[in-house]
Amino acid sequence: MATHRISLTVNGSTELLDVPSQMTLLQMLRDKLALTGTKNGCSAGECGACTVLLDGEPVNSCLVLAVECQGASVVTVEGLAKDGVLDPIQETIVDHGGVQCGFCTPGMLISSRALLDRNPDPSEDDIREALVGNLCRCTGYNRIVDAVQDSARRQAGKA
Amino acid sequence: MSINPHPELPEFDYIRPASLAEASQFLAQHAGHARPLSGGTDIFVRMRDGIWHDQYLVDVKHLDGTNDLTFTPTGLTIGAGVNMNRIIASPEVQQHYPLLAQACRRVASYQLRTRATVVGNICNASPAGDSIGACIAFGGTLKVHGLNGFRDEPLQGFCLSPGKTRLQPGDIVTAVHLPPPPPGSAGTYLKLGRNTWGDLAIVGVTVLAAPDPTAASGYRFRILLASVAPIPLEAVAAQEALAATPLGEPAFKEAARLAAQACSPIDDVRGSARYRKAMVRKHTQLALLQTWQKLTR
Amino acid sequence: MSKHTPPNIPHPIGDSVPRVDAQEKVTGAAIFADDIQFGPGLLYARIKRSPHPHALIKRIDVSRAKALPGVKAVVTGEDFPGLTGLYLQDRHIFCRGRARYVGDPVAGVAASSEAIAEQAVTLIDVEYEPLPGVFDPEFGATPEAPLLHPDLGDYKVMNFIFPQPGSNVSNHFKIRKGNVESAWAQCEAIVERTYRIPHIQHVPIETHIATARVEQDGKVTLWGSSQSPFAQRSLIATALGVSPSDVQVIAPYVGGGFGCKAGVSMEALAVAIATQVRGRPVKLRLTREEEFYTAFVRQGLVAHFKMGCDKEGRLLAMQNRLYWDAGAYTEYGVNITRASGYSSSGPYDVPNVSTDSYCVYTNHPVGGPMRGFGMPELHTGLEQCIDELAEQIHMDKVAFRRLNCIQGGDTIVTGMTMHPTGLNECLDKTAAAIGWGHKDPPSAPNKRRGKGIALMWKAPAMPPNPGSSAKVALNEDGTVTVSVGGQEIGQGSFTIAAQVAAGALGVPIENVRVATPLDTNYSPYEWQTVASRLTWSMGNAVAAAARDARQQILELVAKAWNEKIEDLDIVDGNVISYKSEETISLNKIAIYGIALPNDQGWIGGPVLGRGSFMPTYVTGLDPETGQGPRAVVHYTTGAQAVEVEVDMDTGKVQILRGVSAFDVGKAINPNMVRGQMEGGFVQGMSTALFESLQLKEGVLQNPSFVDYRIATATDVPKDIQSIIVEVPQDDGPWGARGIGEHSMVPTVAAIANAIFDAIGIRVGAPPYTAEKVYLAMLDAGLVE
Ligand SMILES: Cc1cc2nc3c(=O)[nH]c(=O)nc-3n(C[C@H](O)[C@H](O)[C@H](O)COP(=O)(O)OP(=O)(O)OC[C@H]3O[C@@H](n4cnc5c(N)ncnc54)[C@H](O)[C@@H]3O)c2cc1C
Ligand code: FES
Ligand code: FES
Repeated sequence: MATHRISLTVNGSTELLDVPSQMTLLQMLRDKLALTGTKNGCSAGECGACTVLLDGEPVNSCLVLAVECQGASVVTVEGLAKDGVLDPIQETIVDHGGVQCGFCTPGMLISSRALLDRNPDPSEDDIREALVGNLCRCTGYNRIVDAVQDSARRQAGKA
Repeated sequence: MSINPHPELPEFDYIRPASLAEASQFLAQHAGHARPLSGGTDIFVRMRDGIWHDQYLVDVKHLDGTNDLTFTPTGLTIGAGVNMNRIIASPEVQQHYPLLAQACRRVASYQLRTRATVVGNICNASPAGDSIGACIAFGGTLKVHGLNGFRDEPLQGFCLSPGKTRLQPGDIVTAVHLPPPPPGSAGTYLKLGRNTWGDLAIVGVTVLAAPDPTAASGYRFRILLASVAPIPLEAVAAQEALAATPLGEPAFKEAARLAAQACSPIDDVRGSARYRKAMVRKHTQLALLQTWQKLTR
Repeated sequence: MSKHTPPNIPHPIGDSVPRVDAQEKVTGAAIFADDIQFGPGLLYARIKRSPHPHALIKRIDVSRAKALPGVKAVVTGEDFPGLTGLYLQDRHIFCRGRARYVGDPVAGVAASSEAIAEQAVTLIDVEYEPLPGVFDPEFGATPEAPLLHPDLGDYKVMNFIFPQPGSNVSNHFKIRKGNVESAWAQCEAIVERTYRIPHIQHVPIETHIATARVEQDGKVTLWGSSQSPFAQRSLIATALGVSPSDVQVIAPYVGGGFGCKAGVSMEALAVAIATQVRGRPVKLRLTREEEFYTAFVRQGLVAHFKMGCDKEGRLLAMQNRLYWDAGAYTEYGVNITRASGYSSSGPYDVPNVSTDSYCVYTNHPVGGPMRGFGMPELHTGLEQCIDELAEQIHMDKVAFRRLNCIQGGDTIVTGMTMHPTGLNECLDKTAAAIGWGHKDPPSAPNKRRGKGIALMWKAPAMPPNPGSSAKVALNEDGTVTVSVGGQEIGQGSFTIAAQVAAGALGVPIENVRVATPLDTNYSPYEWQTVASRLTWSMGNAVAAAARDARQQILELVAKAWNEKIEDLDIVDGNVISYKSEETISLNKIAIYGIALPNDQGWIGGPVLGRGSFMPTYVTGLDPETGQGPRAVVHYTTGAQAVEVEVDMDTGKVQILRGVSAFDVGKAINPNMVRGQMEGGFVQGMSTALFESLQLKEGVLQNPSFVDYRIATATDVPKDIQSIIVEVPQDDGPWGARGIGEHSMVPTVAAIANAIFDAIGIRVGAPPYTAEKVYLAMLDAGLVE
């Protein structure tokens, strides 16, 4: 079993890790760094609970090898708040009642954040399309969609 | 029984070769035990499912130019490491190959497409591959690096059966190249899944058409069908009919019938053969109509 | 409380306060079962499972598995003779001698890694003798069917479940009200239909996870994703033959339950394996594929309905035969059979009812409780038959329902008198909101539009005496900590507990903390987090505990101030006197009490309120007639309507709008109530359009999210309206009753009725996939 030494930044802090070839980014985050906010719902790219930002773009961390992240920058749900201030999407998802069991929430937040980063003014259909890879069994989605829209409005207000 | 031969990924070695030559050499030396890795979205799933047992995954994403997406007068070159979201977002693709962007956009989810590549989609040779039809329709060729250096491999006839292609041990597709689109062309990709978005295709229909004075109808069409045959299926008889007859709804209807006749779908969990045949007809007709509207706009 | 009229409703009852668990959940701090850190001593378990739906196990050879380096223990059914089960003890932890479904656990391994454990599993050799299986419940109920549980007659069973030893019927519930046979003659119209409801699954996004450690002295600790820590404590103790108080269950946040994490399922495997590696924690994590194969499923149902009405549209008779495809073990399913039986008239006043509800063993996955507990399955067919009856006598479907639907004072199907209910109001509001009777043109020429409506009722299904308890403790900063044993599975129970405590005690909601995680060693008893019973039952316990604390505080202050308790109140965290106009903040008296003047000592001390609640009035039902004074605690009722558009080219059904109205008695948190209504509507919609476990001779064909599709954000109508109706429950906290499950009960029927309205075809069994609808239209000649 080959292990690889990699360095990367996770939520802004530099990590130096030895990872076996087959270790996924999800396993690395959860098992090596104890960043358990990122969830595993399928290990197969289907549910989106494991979504994190890899160099600014959302990925299913269960379908990325840790070793592929050499030199990369990773942001997880734990890294969304800056200096104790929540990201607007973290606030609006609560305000709109878009959290129930909370298991899909980390992935939803990351996908939403990524959408707002590439499109600060998404239409409702844009939002739904952007969240199609994030399954939620509790909320029925609409409140999450509302939260993303509201978050876009709040950001526009600030800008 | 084992529901999960591997709860997570099985053991393998990740190989990061320094050059294409080294990569090809390694792959050839370990034929049957190694495969090229692009996005991994097919590979990891199949290895976890215990269908593939490779000992080595050879990452080709960072080798000579595989990460480039370039548009020149000779066409579009999509490196093997270029993910689908980059293709969808590319202004050149949107302007010159909107059909390709449309097809890529229908693949899975945004986050999956951050990893998934068109080259991987093609090399995986799944009948359900959404982007393969567009690449064939544009007359794409693959740039392949093998033990004997580079060669071009036309996409036509590249997929042999589900999961099987013309690639030989040591071969690495470095890019797919699409020639400039025929002048005045328009295309449509229609995908029917169980969900509105995000499902694999029950049926996928790619149509590309362009004016062609050598055709009796004045237009040349290409029609490729996904998920209704062991390989991406070109509806040849339908294409010929559209070249020969005056175009309009009756012609599209007849072409759609011919397309449905040509396919040989199977029953699976996504849909029955009977439904698929009916849907090939409906979607071909609709895709032809939509393409026609774009052509004559 | 509700005896006071008008009810005095304190703040924050009825206020949509933010969820108390929200901050943790949006920052990634919330701990779920898989997130607990156990350090390097953790072992990993994997399970060897039967590939056969029905087989005798002739021999198991574990020697090769045991020899694999890294393997710490291998266990089989030999090691665990005990039976367990919630209502009927028909289940061993591991198969003993016989496997009854594909995935039935045959052996278990603990090893130093998941991969080694899985490798060891492949080294276990099992010799099977395959047996013919039962894959259809109606066949299963016949004498010709192979017998799956020859020992049924010896199983321990609760006294309201009626197994038929010598058959595959593990419960037969009957209703005989009035005389159905003589009623048919008076009917102007009769509808007779059969509906086959497929198995589906809960698919919480978090799969089942359990970690167990067994000490040298036999004490058990279990950390699991659980709706039912106390039931697990009791059931696991029974299975292992230890005392319940020697089992400690710790249950952090649950990433979705919907019933599948109630009772005990895979947790027992983890505990059993842990008994063989004492002192070391053993984690068992179901992969998504295993979850599909082996976690509880919602049972299949074959339902035969016959119902008739007179020419005015009055329902005269109903005859139902329900065959539940309950799977390999029916320890929980037997009560679904019962619940669907005692509610089998649907929310209607029907003088003559005859029902036979059979729980049938099959070689399918194990049926368990799922959101609705039999009611969605029942209502799917029943509410379509109601539509058909109305059509037959040319009566408007809303008018037909208004005429027949259950009202307070009616004698319901079990002979119980119905309590006041707002079903009529729900019906009218839903009909108005959907624009009943008005047809909008379709959005495109190849589409057809339709509207459909359906009613529902559902009672909490449980033993007669499930208890709740709660503690409310005052902290030195004047905040209060509420302890409950009811679980937070997304439905908002912790927030409700906080609101009820705040309201009953008189403190601001911000000052209430909920003690987490649940821990059977510290949390007060709660039967289970099921049956939509927490707001009502646990809510009552919390209110009682808060009032107990309040009384202690007021007594103390009255003594200190030399005033009468009647003149004192607790408002916004301060004790105030209406008489002397004195005020003292709770943080001044919490823990340390109040100092007497002149250093003359202290009075008071730590304040700890306690409360419990248990319904005491539920009676048994006659086994032959299903009649009795009070079968259930109450019914939540409601209505749903949808507008759909059917694509004639593909058969795809698009839900354009959905409206729900439910009588929740009192919405403690209106926003969360609406959240339950929406989420349930979408889950119901998802089952209506997409979901079925495709079982072929007992083998699951679609055990992944790629093949078992659920609704995504792109499938959901933008316009979902949720209407709250409040007719108070006499014994609910401020009149509240449950809403968690009800919102997905009528959905499939409403959608089916709307599809009929659009295309004039009853498509039959759900799901109404594009394919099924298209082929039905093709067969009917509607499309070419
Ligand atoms: C949840 C999920 C949903 C999906 N949905 C869709 C969908 O809707 N539509 C669809 O079309 N697909 C779908 N896929 C399949 C997959 O994402 C696509 O086929 C994708 O394009 C594969 O690209 P990749 O780069 O990830 O390929 P990889 O997994 O890296 O490789 C796939 C195959 O191609 C070979 N290969 C890769 N790169 C090269 C190369 N440079 N040279 C030679 N051989 C190479 C590999 O060895 C392997 O055999 C889905 C997959 C998942 C997990
Ligand atoms: S865990 Fe990665 S997508 Fe489900
Ligand atoms: S909130 Fe439970 S899965 Fe989304």
